[in-house]
Amino acid sequence: MFTTFYRLIKTGFTNFLRNGWLSLASTIIMTLTLITISIFLILNIVLTQGIQTIQDKIDISIYLSDSAKGSKVLDLQKELSNNPDVKVVKYVSKDEAKQRYQEKFANNPQLKESLDDGGDNPLPASLEIKTYNPDKLSTLLPMFEQEKYKNMIRKVSYKENKEVIDRLFKATEFIKKIGWGLAAAFIITSLIIIFNTIRTAIYTHKSEIEIMKLVGANPWFIKWPFLIEGILYGIFGTILALIAISITLRLLSVSFNTYFGSGDTGDQVLGFLMKNLVTLVVLMLGVGITIGVTSSSIAIRKYLKKS
Amino acid sequence: MIYLKDVTKVYDKSKKKALDNISVHIKPKEFVIFVGLSGAGKSTLTKLVTHEEEPTSGKITVGGIDYSKLKKKDVPYLRRKIGVVFQDFKLLPKKTVYENISYALEVAGISNKTIRSRVPQVLKMVGLEGKAKRFPRELSGGEMQRVAIARALIHEPKILIADEPTGNLDPKNAWEIIDLLLKVNEYGTTVILTTHNKEIVNTLKKRVITLKGGKLIKDQEVGRYALQ
Ligand SMILES: Nc1ncnc2c1ncn2[C@@H]1O[C@H](COP(=O)(O)OP(=O)(O)OP(=O)(O)O)[C@@H](O)[C@H]1O
Ligand SMILES: [Mg+2]
Repeated sequence: MFTTFYRLIKTGFTNFLRNGWLSLASTIIMTLTLITISIFLILNIVLTQGIQTIQDKIDISIYLSDSAKGSKVLDLQKELSNNPDVKVVKYVSKDEAKQRYQEKFANNPQLKESLDDGGDNPLPASLEIKTYNPDKLSTLLPMFEQEKYKNMIRKVSYKENKEVIDRLFKATEFIKKIGWGLAAAFIITSLIIIFNTIRTAIYTHKSEIEIMKLVGANPWFIKWPFLIEGILYGIFGTILALIAISITLRLLSVSFNTYFGSGDTGDQVLGFLMKNLVTLVVLMLGVGITIGVTSSSIAIRKYLKKS
Repeated sequence: MIYLKDVTKVYDKSKKKALDNISVHIKPKEFVIFVGLSGAGKSTLTKLVTHEEEPTSGKITVGGIDYSKLKKKDVPYLRRKIGVVFQDFKLLPKKTVYENISYALEVAGISNKTIRSRVPQVLKMVGLEGKAKRFPRELSGGEMQRVAIARALIHEPKILIADEPTGNLDPKNAWEIIDLLLKVNEYGTTVILTTHNKEIVNTLKKRVITLKGGKLIKDQEVGRYALQ
């Protein structure tokens, strides 16, 4: 059993090598296909995550004056919690605000220490609100205009997240469409090119195949080398695509670093890839091998019919 | 061993009958010579026996197997029971003598151990011990024919079909091939030989079946060459 397996793999490899330029063309188109698919997949994931991050951000911050009475703050907090549009209300004390500030500027000692000069903490306490639907932000605003709260509120700030999210959504949809289109075009092209390569391989081995049949070869012994050749395109395509993507990201992160000093977007994407490397490899192998096997199966069915 | 009943073969592309209503019975261990001029239908007949071609009408039974009921997946196993020496050798030019023979075992899933013991045996039997590493282009016609015979014998078939194995050989080489076939027949293999070599037919004194234009015109137990 193992012997036969080994023989089939060996024949598959030999065919792959003998096919020369056609094998090269097939491998290249497979690599391009897998690169295209991966890039759009990564873009899609990064954008979706971006949207998620923005959606998770605080929608409204209510900065409280230092003179605000604790009971009134609690009243407001309660009223907000009871509002069906509000997801979370969180009270951030003055100390907490200071701590956050210091964390934020941890590597900028000048700013960080600006609060440590013994004076009063100038940062206000606040209520942070997350809503279920950024659309409804404006309906909350009248609440803060009420007479009873007016004096204790220093400032209400809310971010116009909706617009950003909408724009990101649109970009994602657009990229998805382009991605699908390009991926489909590349997949069809590789199917055709690999089909052609395998068909040529079958033709060049025509007399050998005939002889194999006449001396009583098992049919799968005739078919499998061509299927293996198709699988090899998937495997080599994956390897080359991975190499190409990592090199590109490396270069990208280097150039990011030169432009933005400590900027590390490329590194981040690279890190993200490393974390999901297994998934990515499995996916690429899956797509690559499926394309290879499909093409060769069609070629085999078409040109190896007679027994 | 081999039954043909009212077998007619018309190839797709032609209207002419390559074989016309042939009925033959070949017994186990027999040595049968099919004689006929070029185009008489000798190769067609051998191709029907190996299931390389299917009859247009009529019934073929080989070793108890009715070909009309033979499943596609069983054809490879049938082919291993029938050794064929092709008119045009059908050797693989890029494989050595040894590989050309071991190949037939490899594609049937035989273990390397068996291959290593069996290939030298058949090479010895056909007298090619010293030429295992040569490529077909480095061999004479007679030697190539021996390789083809060795390959045909590798599965120890019950039937050996040799389609004009002496066609391109000088008399000395031709007779060496015929002697080899006689030896194979003595070991108990049914041998079918096709030829239009008058001297061989008349010297062998075996059963001779004469074909002419696809028709069976003569079937003699101890036959003689009977064409012009
Ligand atoms: N594949 C084919 N397609 C169409 N016609 C064929 C085919 N093979 C053989 N024929 C025809 O069938 C007839 C018998 O051919 P066959 O090859 O059986 O003759 P043969 O007796 O073997 O001749 P030779 O001594 O030249 O080998 C011929 O008329 C030939 O042209
Ligand atoms: Mg012939």
